[in-house]
Amino acid sequence: METVLQLLAFLLLVLGTLFSLIGVIGFIRLPDVYTRLHATGKVSVFGLVFLLLAADILTPLATWKALLLIFFVLAASPAVAHAISSSAYRTGVPLVGKRDDLKGKLEVGQEKD
Amino acid sequence: MSHTLQFSVPLFLVYLALTGNVEPANLVVGALVAVGISLLRPKMDLPLIHWRRLPQFLWAGIRYLFIVAGDVIRGGLSTARIVLDPNLPINPGIIAIPSGTQSELGTALSAHSISLSPGEMVVAIDDEGVMYTHCLNVDDSERMVADAQNLRKSLLSRMFE
Repeated sequence: METVLQLLAFLLLVLGTLFSLIGVIGFIRLPDVYTRLHATGKVSVFGLVFLLLAADILTPLATWKALLLIFFVLAASPAVAHAISSSAYRTGVPLVGKRDDLKGKLEVGQEKD
Repeated sequence: MSHTLQFSVPLFLVYLALTGNVEPANLVVGALVAVGISLLRPKMDLPLIHWRRLPQFLWAGIRYLFIVAGDVIRGGLSTARIVLDPNLPINPGIIAIPSGTQSELGTALSAHSISLSPGEMVVAIDDEGVMYTHCLNVDDSERMVADAQNLRKSLLSRMFE
C-alpha cells in the first residue's frame, strides 16, 4: 500500500512538473497578453493541482489542508486572470485576432472609475 | 443573525480543515474566530438559504463542483495541446456572452466557471450582465458556450432561488 501511494505520488509529481513546463512554453509561444493568460491561468494551475495532490500524499500535512489549497487555487485563478486581462484591456494593450465584441464598450486608455 | 450563521459555518469548517485538530479547545477557538470574522464582514447583498432548501442547495453545489472539476481537466489538457502543436492553431478574439441573469452573484459565478472552462476567459462584464469573453478559438467557443451555459444556469438558479 505504501509503495503504491509513493508511486502514485511520483506520477503526480511528474505530471505536475510537466504541465507547469507546458504552461511556461505556452507563455513564450503565444502572441499577446490575453492568450498568454490562458497558458498561465489554465495549464499552470492544472500542474499546480497535481503538485498539491502529490504533496498531500508525500508529506504528513493535515490531509484536508492540501485539498483546501486546491479549492482556493481553483477559486482564485479565474479572478486573477480576469483582473489582469481587464486592466490590460483598459490600458489599451493590443489584441491579436480579428473579432472584438468589446471594442468601443469600455473607455480604453484610462482607468474606469 | 442567520446571515451571520450562513457565513460563519463554512468559515468554521475551513478553520477545522486548516488546523486539522478536533479537540474541544480548538473547536471553541474556531467557533469564536468564525463568528468574529462574520460579524466584521462588510454588508453584502447575499441571498439567504432556507433550511428546507439546504439539501437541494448542497446537492446542486456538489454537482456544480464536479462540472467545474471536469472543465478544469479539459481546459488544462486542451490548452496544453494547443500550446504544444507546432502550428499553434489559435484564432483568438473577444465574444459577447449574455449571462442570462441580472443578479450580481449569478453573473459572477457564471463568469468564474467560464474562466475555468477550456479556452475561455472573461475580460469584462457590463451592467446588463453580458460577459465579454476572450477565447483562444472563437468558432469552437461560440458553439460550446450555449450548451454549457444552460447547464450552469439551471444549477445556479437551483442554488440561489
